[in-house]
Formats: sequence, C-alpha cells, structure tokens
Amino acid sequence: MSSGILEVPKGASFTKFNTQHQQKWEDPSSTSDYSTRIEPPFQAFNQTSQTQSLLLCNNQIKVPMQDGSVNDLLQASKIQDWDPSAMLNNLSFLGQKIHQLQDLVYLIIGRKGQVLGRPDELLVQQQQLVTADLTSIIVQLISTAGGLLPSVKQTLSAATTSLGQCGEFGGVVFPSSAQGLNDGVQPQNAGGSKVSEPPNSVDITSNNGNEQSNHIIEEHELKDEEDAEEGENLLPGTYEILQLEKEEILAPHTHFCTICGKGFKRDANLRMHMRGHGDEYKTPGALAKPTKESSSEPTIIKRYSCPYAGCKRNKDHKKFQPLKTILCVKNHYKRTHCDKSYICSRCNTKKFSVIADLKTHEKHCGKDKWLCSCGTTFSRKDKLFGHITLFQGHTPAIPSDEIKAAPAGTSDGATNKVGSVNFNLSYVSSESEVQSSSMDIKGGIDDAVGYFSPLSFDTCNFGGFHEFPRPPFDDSESSFAFLLSRSCNYSQKSGEE
Amino acid sequence: MLSFQSSKNVLSLTEDLLVRIYELLAAESDRKSFRLVCREFRRIDTLTRRHLRVIRIEFLPILLRKYPRLQSLDLSACPRIDDGVVSLLLTRVGPGSNSPILGHWAWGLKSLVLSRATGLRFSGLEMLARACPCLESVDVSYCCGFGDREAAALSSAVGLRELNMDKCLQLTDVGLAKIAVGCSKLEKLSLKWCMEMTDLGIDLLCKKCVDLKYLDVSYLKVTNESLHSIASLLKLEVLGLMACPLIDDVGLQFIERGCPSLKVIDVSRCEGVSSSGLIFVVRGHRNLRELNAGYCLSQELSTALLHQMKNLNHLEVIRIDGARISETSFQVISANCKSLVEIGLSKCLGVTNMGIMRLVSACINLRVLNLTCCHSITDAAISAIAYSCRSLVCLKVESCNMITEKGLCQLGSFCLLLEEIDLTDCCGVNDKGLEYLSRCSELSCLKLGLCTNISNKGLSYICFNCLKIHELDLYRCTGIGDDGLEALSNGCKKLRKLNLSYCNEVSDRGLGYIGRLEELSDLEMRALHKITGVGLEAVAVGCKRLADLDMKHCEKVGDSGFWALAYYSKNLRQINLSYCGISDMALCMVMGNLSRLQEAKLVHLSNCTVEGVELALRACCVRIKKVKLFAPLRFMLSSEILEILHARGCIIRWD
Repeated sequence: MSSGILEVPKGASFTKFNTQHQQKWEDPSSTSDYSTRIEPPFQAFNQTSQTQSLLLCNNQIKVPMQDGSVNDLLQASKIQDWDPSAMLNNLSFLGQKIHQLQDLVYLIIGRKGQVLGRPDELLVQQQQLVTADLTSIIVQLISTAGGLLPSVKQTLSAATTSLGQCGEFGGVVFPSSAQGLNDGVQPQNAGGSKVSEPPNSVDITSNNGNEQSNHIIEEHELKDEEDAEEGENLLPGTYEILQLEKEEILAPHTHFCTICGKGFKRDANLRMHMRGHGDEYKTPGALAKPTKESSSEPTIIKRYSCPYAGCKRNKDHKKFQPLKTILCVKNHYKRTHCDKSYICSRCNTKKFSVIADLKTHEKHCGKDKWLCSCGTTFSRKDKLFGHITLFQGHTPAIPSDEIKAAPAGTSDGATNKVGSVNFNLSYVSSESEVQSSSMDIKGGIDDAVGYFSPLSFDTCNFGGFHEFPRPPFDDSESSFAFLLSRSCNYSQKSGEE
Repeated sequence: MLSFQSSKNVLSLTEDLLVRIYELLAAESDRKSFRLVCREFRRIDTLTRRHLRVIRIEFLPILLRKYPRLQSLDLSACPRIDDGVVSLLLTRVGPGSNSPILGHWAWGLKSLVLSRATGLRFSGLEMLARACPCLESVDVSYCCGFGDREAAALSSAVGLRELNMDKCLQLTDVGLAKIAVGCSKLEKLSLKWCMEMTDLGIDLLCKKCVDLKYLDVSYLKVTNESLHSIASLLKLEVLGLMACPLIDDVGLQFIERGCPSLKVIDVSRCEGVSSSGLIFVVRGHRNLRELNAGYCLSQELSTALLHQMKNLNHLEVIRIDGARISETSFQVISANCKSLVEIGLSKCLGVTNMGIMRLVSACINLRVLNLTCCHSITDAAISAIAYSCRSLVCLKVESCNMITEKGLCQLGSFCLLLEEIDLTDCCGVNDKGLEYLSRCSELSCLKLGLCTNISNKGLSYICFNCLKIHELDLYRCTGIGDDGLEALSNGCKKLRKLNLSYCNEVSDRGLGYIGRLEELSDLEMRALHKITGVGLEAVAVGCKRLADLDMKHCEKVGDSGFWALAYYSKNLRQINLSYCGISDMALCMVMGNLSRLQEAKLVHLSNCTVEGVELALRACCVRIKKVKLFAPLRFMLSSEILEILHARGCIIRWD
C-alpha cells in the first residue's frame, strides 16, 4: 500500500512513510505490511478522511478492470490455476456486505431527518461504524484480489511469492496516477529507476498538504552504492538485461513535461511541475508516485549493462556483473569511464566525476588527520592502520609542521655546538697538563682512566652544549674550585689509588 | 692478579695469551687493576674491550677513541647526553686535525643502552641509528621524551632485534607502527608503561614483526583484541601481560589456540583473569616453562586448574603469590611438575609445614623459593626444604616469625649454594642462627632487617665466612654497633649496598670502617644520631663509588662532613639530606660540586635559609632531574629558578 492513499491521516502518515522508506520495492516483506497498513489508520479516521477513504474505495473497485489491460500477459498464465468458484464465493459475500452497509446508510439518512436537534455524538458513532465496515470490505476485496496471485507465482518462482503480492498491491492502488503521468514521459524508465526512488514519494506526499512545491531533491541523497549488489547471485538468463546508450546515460534530464517540454532529473520534480498545468494534476492520484503498473512485472527482474565495451559491467564481458538500477548505471559510467572534472576546492587534489562524490568528500576534506607516508589520508586511525598493514613499507606519517620547526632549530644548535666544541677541545689538549696538576679532583671512575682531566671537558661541554642561558652557578667543577682550594685542606690526591 | 716479580715473564707472553687472560677476568674491578699494570696491559684492554659503561659523560669522546672495538655501549648513567653530544661524537673533530674520525666507534656497535637519556631527541637518535649499521639492540627505557618522532628516527636501524621502550610515555601507536614497519626483524620488544598504546598498534606490530619471540605489554590498557593479534605470533616464547586491567579470560582463550612456541607467560595482577583463564593457557601450552599468576587468583586454585597442571611436565617456574592454596594442591604440583626450579608463594594463604614438605619431597631441583609472609611456616618446613633442595639458591622467608636457629642450622648444613636469603622481620633469628647460616659461603645478599636479636657477634660470623656478600640489610638491627661494622669492613670487601638505618649504636668509628668498603655504592644510614661530620667525611673519602646516600635525620653531622662529601663523592647520583643540619654554604657546595647528582631530597633543613636553597638550586639546575622541597618554599623561591628547573625537565616534589 502506499503513501499515495494514506497521506491524509496526519498522525499515521509519518509511520507509514517510515515503513515505506525501509521497504524496497522488490523487498519481499510486504505481507506483514499489508495488514498493519490497512487496519489502524481507518479505525482512526475522522470526517475528512472518510471522503478520502471513499475515494480510495472507488479507486480500488476500479482496479481489476484497469489492471486487466496491463496484466494481459500474465493473466494468460494465471488462468491455469485460478479457482473461479472460490472467487465467486468471495465476491458474492462482498456483495452481501455492501448491501448491508447500504441499508445502514439509508437508515442513517432517514433518522437524520427525524432528529435534527440531536447532538452529533450519535452521528459520529455511526460514521465510525460505517468506516469499520468499509474497512473490512476493503480488506476482503484486496485479499480476494490477492488470492489470484499465488497461483501465478507458483508457475514462475516460489521465491518471489510475497513480492508478487506487494507488486499487485501497488498496482491496485496506483493505476490511475501511473497512467496519467508516466505514459509519454518516461519511456525507458519503466521499472528500474523507480526502485531507487522511494524517498521521493515520501517527500512529495508530505509536502503536498503544505502547498510547498518545487522541492528539488538533490541527487546525491539517493546515491546508490554500486557495490551494494556485488554479492548478488543472479543466474544468467533469469533476468532481463537492458543497456542504455552513452548519450542516454549522460543526459542531464530524463523526465520531460508532455505539455511544455521542460526536462527534469526526477519524476517527482516533474509531478510537482505538472501541478501548474491544471487541476487535474493536483489530485492525490496524479501526485502519487507512479509505481509499476505492474502487479505482474516484478516477476521479470531487470538488470542493466554498461555500454562501455570491455567493462566488467558490460554484458559481453566474461565475468559480467550487472548493474542493479539506472542510477547505478549512471554513477558507474561516470565514475569509471568519464573524466573526473569536479575538483575539490579545499584540497585541490581530489577529483571526482560524480558531483555527489565530491560533496561527500568535501564534507570531511581537511579533517583527515591520519596520514600515510604514501600521501593517502584517512579520517580514522584504524583505517590508516589497516592500510599500513596491507601495504609493504608504508608507515604512518608524523605531522610535518612539528618536524619543520624542530629540526631547523636543532641542526643549527648542533652545528653551533660542534663549532664551539672544536674550539674547546683544542683548548683541552693544550691546557690539560696545567689543569690536571692544579686541581685534580677526579673521582675514582672505573672506566675513565686518569689521563683526562674531567674539568676540561666539562667546561667545554657546558660552554657549548646547553641551550639555556647560563645560570650564575653553572655546572662545572670550577664553580667552587676556588672555595675548595682555599678553605679546605684536603689533600687533593687522597682519594686516588 | 699477576705478581710483579714475574713481570718479565708476563711481558714475554704473547698478545693473544694476554687477551685470553684478560677475558677470564670477570669482575670490572679486576679488569681495572689489570689495565693499570702497564702500558702493554692497557693496550690489551683497549683492543679487547667489547663493553663500555660510561659513568661520566665528559670522558665519553676520549673513551670512544680509546676503545675502537666496542660492541656494546651503556650510557644509562649519563642521562645528560643530548643531540649535541651525539653530533659531536659522530663528527670529525675538524679538518687538518690529527685525531681520527670519531665516528669509527659506531661502526661495530651492536648494543646501545640509552636508558633515561631524556635529553636525546629524534635528531640525535637518527644520527646514531644511521651511524651504527650493525645495531641490534637498543634500550631507550625511561626516556620520558621519547615519542613518535624519536621512534621514527630509531626505525631507520633496520637490523634491530631487541628494543626496550619501557615507560616511553609519549609513544603512541604511530611511533610503534614506525618501529614495526622499519624494524621488521624485531625479536624482543618491551612496551611496559607505554600508556598511549592501543590495540591498533599491537595488532599492526603482530602483523609486521612476525619474528617476535619476546613481547612485554605489561601495564598497558590493551584489551582482548590485542591478545587475538598476539596469538598469531608463531615464534613468540615470552609474553608479559602483567597488570593489564582490560584483559580477561576470553582473551586468554585466544592464547590457548595461538602462540605455539609459548614458554613463558606472566598474567600477574591482571584483575580480569581467573582460574578459568589460566586453564585455557595451560591447556593450550603443555610445554610451558614459566607461569606467573601472582595476585590474580584471589580464590583457591580450582581443581580444574590443578587437573590441567598435571600436564605441565616441563614447568620450571610458577608464581601464584597471594592465592589460597591447600595441601592437596601442593601434592598435585609436586607429583607432576618435577622439574620445578622456582616457586613463588608469597602471601599465599594456607601454606603449612605439611604442604611445603609435600612440595619439596618431589621437587628436589628447587632453586628459588619465595615464602614471604607465610606466617605458619616453622623450622620443620625449613628443615625439609634444606634437606630436599640441596641446590637452593634463593630463599625468601620474610616475616616468618617461627623460624629459629634450628632451621638456619639445617640450611647451613645442606644448602651450601645459597646466595640470597631474606630474613627480614624474622625475630627468631639470633647470633647462633647467623653462625649456622655463615656456613653458606656463597651468600651474596643477606637481609636481616628488624632482626633485633642479632648482635655484632652474629654479624662477625657472617663477615668472616661469607666474603661474597654484596648486599646487606641491617635496618633497625639495634644490636649492631661499630664492632660489627669493623668485622664487615674486614670481611665483606665486595659490599655494594648497605642499610644501616636506625642502628643507633653506630658512631663515627663505625663509619670509619664503612669508609674502607671501596665498592660501596648504596648507603642508607637514616637517623644515626651518634655520627658527626667526621664519620661522613670518612665515608666520602673512602667510598668513591658511592652513588646513593640517604642520611635523613642525621642531625649531628656538621658542615665539615658535607664539605668532604661535596669534594670527594663525585659519583653521587641521589642524596637525601632531609632533617640534616646542613648550612647554606655547605648545601651550595654539595649541590653545585657534585656533578653527577640527579636527585636530591631537601626537606626540613633547619639551618638553611630560602636564599641558601635558591642558590643551591641554581648551582645544580642544569643537571638535577628530581628534587623534593619543603612545600612553603614554593612561594618563597624566585619564579625564575623554578622556571629554569622546569625548562630543564626537573621534577619538583613539594612536601
């Protein structure tokens, strides 16, 4: 079932959209949706919604007839397993029900005339009663119609049973709008492209009530993962392969207004546009998302081939892997076989051929702080480490700004030091004798043999090496040497062996 | 040593014979005597020397020129080394000068210890890594400044096999990744206390360095994910997981299935590990040699674990400190783990005489036994140990009050290989006991702290017979006086570490004897109220290797002692002068003149003024690494000096 009908109850509509959001059109999960969707909203309907539901009722009743033409092909095969007597039973039961309801409404009309002064309470109750009955009728009707399908499925493939139901359901609901809008507009867009569009219909229906038009949906919101279907294992031959031409793929617009010829990227935007051409395009049916008029079609799965010869996505390739939707085709073709003309304005290095990719990149361009020695950046540390694990010799790079500052300083310092030390060393060699005789205060060090004055190198060490301003009391034995030599009378050599 | 009468004969020996003789000299002091004999001997020394541990950085350039064949260089005692020194060491002294290329020394270098070299940064490390093409082992532990860029610099040493990066607090996964990619031949890596490390780094390491045999990730906040990666290391033999709080039994399950070569595992103090985790480890590794599970088995050893331990026939070392253990467990262990060499039962509940007897009845190869705080142990157990384990080397029975001279008698009779015994707080030990114990002539480490029943007489037995003692703890042995120290100075010439704290009887005369101990490097003598400057002077003059001196509360020591200290104890690295009567001038002398001083505790100096302390700090600010000061001084000292200290990387503790 679909937003097209259920747009009206405001409270319920939200949940509805969500469910629809999750549900892919091919998704065979709709049997459960089926019940949840129909019953609760109708229970809660108020006066305004009743008219809607009646309208819906009309729509639905029309369905079989309208669908009949579409389903020709399938009907033929359906007939084999179809049980007409069961169907007849159901229909007569439904007829009975409708008659009962008719009586009830007559009754209400009659009573209305009699008790005019009565408060509306009773009326409301009766309305609810009618609503409940209508609901059950609708349910019955749909299930009857749905009963046709399993028999069809069994002939084709057991796996897609529920999917078929869903498809039928969609078909039941939308036929009028689908036909009205889609006929000339999207010839090549029959089934596949819609697959990617569920969010569209959500937007439209919710905007509908607010009179907010021309809400253009950004393409990248719907960016399809080409790789998502990588694991799909369709046996060759079980699906239909379509191949679009290059020009078609690269065409900026795929939906054109039949009246004025304006082009649109999306069908939803086109439908918004159509409202301007007259009231007939403003009906909920006309604005609803045109689903496959295809209670039947889902049985044939469509897959796409890339027109580029030699590509793995090209149907002539040995290990051909089909693309799932038209959007996949477009993105694949642009990414793989076109120039990357969109350049990131921030980093000026990354190029993209799909604008959505550029936008995704720009969202966190510059935030990539994890850098590999090969120049690749990562937004997450674990991704960087995964990359390093994978590639021989790659290492994480340490942010360069720190390095730039530091080595300059130290190398300068080092050369300075070397210079001063050189000087000091020569000083040492010339004066070492004098020093060792005058103040020989070396401790007994196992490694240092007594040939070298500790004093001499120490002075040079701190004269040359340390980067801090020399404090008044520097570290050198000489600091206090004068004190020692005068005030203490320790024999200088007493410690030596 | 060779005698001088035969010097002609000695000199006539060929060079290779001299080299052989030289190589037989194990002790550093003997080698020193050797090279002081004559020029020829010194030449042998310079030619043959492979290892050099430099104590004073100022000699480094000359020493490196003297010893061109060095393979191993230990600079851990020169924390002041920095990039400038390195660049000096590696560059030619100058064009036209006659000195050889200094960088030569680096060509053959295989092992480099740079522990605590906080001044060394990436440019210095890079120079070193480039200059030493044969480098296989590097130790940069406790280099607080060692971060990712330093790791990147070090990673250019591609031949690296061993790397110790303990407590490199700045190191992150990125640095480790650099090392892992650059040094893919790594076999031994220690990452203790590298607190920034995460699972990502460990995972990458395990993928890049597949030759790892030794990996220590103790104290890291890594999770079971890391164990999953580690389990893929096929050659891993030693795995240290001490005190990893996020590791639990699930992680050890990975280890059960991985690490096929695992021989040693340490999961002590891992809060999340329980018996079931150990069962996984034991089940997966039948060839385990060492299992260290101290303080992670709060409840009793489960029977399931004991059942699994039956299969550990090659187990040599097991430590289950802090566990509750029953006599039957001892029986299982002794019946199956016959090759056990070391068992640690420190602070275990349920260790009884009977249990120990059962244990030693089969484990006769035990060499190390730790029974610290097993209070119910008596002489019976000690006798059983002594009788069964004749090759016992180390016995720790701290706080086992019921041990008396009878037990020590048995030890002295049978355990003649005993090298280390800890009798701290065993008040049953008396002079007689020490007399028995002195028969263990191999004894090198003896701890008698709080044994108040021993006197000079008992100590003299030890000093007379145990000439190899290098560590002696006499903390609060109030019966020990000057006579005991006289015996000590006559017998234990090799003494390196001595604790005399609170031995109130010791006076200046006693310290005079201490001054004869030339090898002494650590001396703790808190609260010796009788000693004065004379005694300290004697120590300072005599103990030239003194590196660590604690003389808190020695109030009577006057300035003359400190002047002597400042003058002679050039190797002093740590000093505690709290509560001493040192004056401003003497403090300045001590702090300014002791050029290797790194750590000083200067609390409650009653005779010092603020200016004096400030002056003293200025005098040492370029080299001091850690200083403890009286808290109110924080606001009295000038901000300038505090800033200088801070800029030099000195840590100030306010008390």
